[in-house]
Amino acid sequence: MTATSQATQDVVFDVDHVTLRFGGVVSLNDVTLQMYRGEILAVIGPNGAGKTSLFNSLTGVYTPQEGTVTVAGRAGDAPVSVIGKKTHVVNHLGVARTFQNIRLFPALTALENVKVGIETRQKSGPIAAMLGMPWQRREEKESTATALALLNDVGLPGRGNELAGALAYGEQRRLEIARALGTNPGVLLLDEPAAGTNPVEKRDLAELISRINRERGVSILLIEHDMKLVMSIAHRIIVLNFGEKIAEGTPQEIQRDPVVVAAYLGTSAEDAQQQAEQAPELTLIDTDTVQDEEQADD
Amino acid sequence: MNTATRATLRRLAACLLGGFVLALMVGRQEGSLNDFGISFHQAVVGPRIFVFLLIGLVIFVMVTFWPRVVPYLTRPGVAPLGAGLLAVLAAQTVMNWYDPLVSSTGNGKFSGVRTAANASPNLSSVSVAFFGWLAWTLVIAALVACAAAIVTRVRVFGYVTAAIGIVGAVLAYVAHSAVVDLDGGIDHSLGVYADIVGFLLLACAGITAVHARAEVADTRGFLRKVMGYRPGLPIAALGVILGLLAFSTAGWFGALQINDTLAQAHSDFDGTGISSLALNYLGWLGWTLFGAAAVLSLAATYLRNRMLAWVSLILSVVGVVLTFLTLRSMTDIGAQVAPQFGGTWKNLGAGGFLACIVFSLFAAATAMVISSTSAGVRRNVRAKAPTDELPVTSMVKGFRRSSNAMPLLIIGGALALFYPPTLTLTWQNVLVGQIGVFVLLAVGLNVVVGWAGLLDLGYIAFYEIGSYTTAYLVGALPVKPPSWLQMSPLVSIPFAILACLIAGVLLGAPTLRLRGDYLAIVTLGFGEIIQILAVNNPGGFTGGPQGPTVPHPRIHLGGINITWGQDNLPYWYLLLIMLIVVIVLFYRLEGSRLGRAWAAIREDEVAAQASGVNTTRVKLLAFAIGASTSALAGSFFATQVGYFDPSLFTLQASILIVAYVVFGGMGSLQGAIAGAAVLTWLPQFLKAQVPQDDRQMWIGALVLAMMIFRPAGLLPAKRRKAELEGLDAAASSETAAVPRAGAM
Repeated sequence: MTATSQATQDVVFDVDHVTLRFGGVVSLNDVTLQMYRGEILAVIGPNGAGKTSLFNSLTGVYTPQEGTVTVAGRAGDAPVSVIGKKTHVVNHLGVARTFQNIRLFPALTALENVKVGIETRQKSGPIAAMLGMPWQRREEKESTATALALLNDVGLPGRGNELAGALAYGEQRRLEIARALGTNPGVLLLDEPAAGTNPVEKRDLAELISRINRERGVSILLIEHDMKLVMSIAHRIIVLNFGEKIAEGTPQEIQRDPVVVAAYLGTSAEDAQQQAEQAPELTLIDTDTVQDEEQADD
Repeated sequence: MNTATRATLRRLAACLLGGFVLALMVGRQEGSLNDFGISFHQAVVGPRIFVFLLIGLVIFVMVTFWPRVVPYLTRPGVAPLGAGLLAVLAAQTVMNWYDPLVSSTGNGKFSGVRTAANASPNLSSVSVAFFGWLAWTLVIAALVACAAAIVTRVRVFGYVTAAIGIVGAVLAYVAHSAVVDLDGGIDHSLGVYADIVGFLLLACAGITAVHARAEVADTRGFLRKVMGYRPGLPIAALGVILGLLAFSTAGWFGALQINDTLAQAHSDFDGTGISSLALNYLGWLGWTLFGAAAVLSLAATYLRNRMLAWVSLILSVVGVVLTFLTLRSMTDIGAQVAPQFGGTWKNLGAGGFLACIVFSLFAAATAMVISSTSAGVRRNVRAKAPTDELPVTSMVKGFRRSSNAMPLLIIGGALALFYPPTLTLTWQNVLVGQIGVFVLLAVGLNVVVGWAGLLDLGYIAFYEIGSYTTAYLVGALPVKPPSWLQMSPLVSIPFAILACLIAGVLLGAPTLRLRGDYLAIVTLGFGEIIQILAVNNPGGFTGGPQGPTVPHPRIHLGGINITWGQDNLPYWYLLLIMLIVVIVLFYRLEGSRLGRAWAAIREDEVAAQASGVNTTRVKLLAFAIGASTSALAGSFFATQVGYFDPSLFTLQASILIVAYVVFGGMGSLQGAIAGAAVLTWLPQFLKAQVPQDDRQMWIGALVLAMMIFRPAGLLPAKRRKAELEGLDAAASSETAAVPRAGAM
């Protein structure tokens, strides 16, 4: 896979021995991982494994007690620590995210939602806006044009004037991605983008995520429960369980990893190993059947 | 006895008991020395108690039979019936009918005229009867006939209603003019006109009830059809009616003494050395201009002809200018030759200003024709162009794009310029000191509360800081500024704004990490601190509870010399300029990236942060911009009232401003203006209508009704409205997705 091989040099996120505690509860325990430029990295794990905590530690929402997190958002950036930085500062470093439970601005139109993201990169201030200065007008036009292009890109053409809150669920997911892309990120963090969408929407979403990664060169960190989606688009997968990283590898490796199967089935690794030997078809998901189904859907 | 009967009986008992309690509540409640239970005895003895029991009974009947009435409420004719009844009721209970009676007996309303009519033997019997019993009988007859028409849809009932309505309107006019003819005096009351409109509406209701084909009334659709039939035609028609009044009956000169109409003014001013233009205007030019503009604008709106519209627009503008020039020569010459009627600008009647408004209405009507036809042309061009570019008609910009914006601005501008001079001195004072200043404050607070969603309960503190900064800089406080810093009131405004910007940032920086209720408490404390500081007079700076005396503003700049004094009207125009500037700037701000960022943090702060919005900076900007508007208002207030003291800047004032914003519609610029204007106007209006003690109760009732029937406010913001209604839409689209998801 070319993406992985070219990515090995350039690290986007470097998470080094991070531990995050809430009182006595250890949410992340000594997690170390690297994310490389240009890859689609999926983080999977059972509920409560610490996936969203990891996301929030990467974006400055939570401050881990131990360890370091550095980010080099866009290509060529020097690595910077995100620990203790405010969320919007991390965003300005080229890290954009979406939320597990959609968090749009429901009373703004779809176009305005995207424009909010784009305009955080603009310079004109309130005085220029009040006086209607030419450069402010130019920026306004630019942001509208960019927002329209983004809406087209994520598959919401002509929906710009509809209220974000009135869009269908799957469309809201896409709009959230468009808003995140509006901030011109080098890395996009997607928190369960396929939750609550139907199979057709899931397939379109997988296609969209791959396309964003391919065409815009945006590295993507993905949390997702839907194994089919993860296996079909991720270049690399990291598995978390009880706040610890238990496995890392390509989709094929992860599917056959006994520790991962154990974590998902709730048995010990040895049992899982035995079961895997006895019944090789009982793996997380079979890539071949996924491909078959994809073709059948088409 | 089954449950239904028992429930009905219980309801009857409750209603009768309610009537009894109501009877106890009316009148004085204290006992006297002889009879401790006097209020009780007065309540139960005599025929009074039966009236209240009857009220209870009526309520019982209404509650019991309400479900049977409900299906008829959507029938055609109900809406005009309601509107007509409301107008007639308002006219015959709260509005003034005859101004001279107000000064002689203190009651110039319908009931007051009835008393006077009964006492005057020379009044025509029709008039006496109308004020005595006929008016109310007609209303009740019309109501009954109209109800019958709505329920049965028999044509006769509809025609009877129409006949009663027309007779009522004619009689009202005849009876009122008989009173005015007999007793003379100058009458500017509007009660009779409201009554006529009400009766005519009742007539319309009767006709609609029997002639509308639809089963369910579509009043809004009907109105839209009427207004959309020929854009601008209703406005032009209104202009014609008002113009006829202005040029035939309204007084142009000597408002309170002689009330000269246009024709009389011409003969009075002939030979006084008035400019020939003004004399010609009074003689023939005014009428001719009005006639030409009226015919042209009616034709232009009816034919939708752009050419005619442009001609009419130019003619209307010329009409406004010429009318104004005439008024100026009249008031100048009048002040010289007839000083007993008042000085410059104080000796005019309403007629001239009404004529200006009329010409502006013609201009608005024709502007509507021009913009609606040109929009059509542009749309055709756009249809041919490739449509990959989505036009920017975001929700906020809906108003900007509508072809009605320009005409509405013309009408609003004309009213703001020409209506205040026709007001009485009391109302001018209210307009400047209450309505204008609080509109400015509400517009400022709308930025903080409405747009950024930060509840600020100490907003009045910035107003206070602005006032005291101005007082300090003009040298009105015990501590004088250094002589090089001492300045005139108007020059101090930027400094007051700067002081409030700093205060806003100082308050905001440490507290803005708080949210919602916590922020409200801190700002509340801030407001209290500033007020107590002013009272406690630290270092002898503020002068304590006494308060400073600030000089009125002056402008001496090259050839321009303007001095503001006691008269309120000049302050209004100064305030109008400030308001327009602030509103235009804020209007642009709302559609800018800052406006969107405010909406974003109000909607979802976490998501806004994650999208890269620097929430602290954006909130601070909201605070600072709101505070500086407050400073502008405070500065103006200080120099306008001349004397103020710290007791004005109470928590109650802060809360009132929040109430204005909420009442008008949070986050809506028009709403904040309308809310502040209505809620500052209302108490002054009620002063003359209801007993002093009841005033707050009526205002409270209105606010309550408002929050029940229009929870988003008087003129809700598009965004806020979407927030209240859009959530339903989101829920429905989500449920629609469930079956598909369930299929997997």
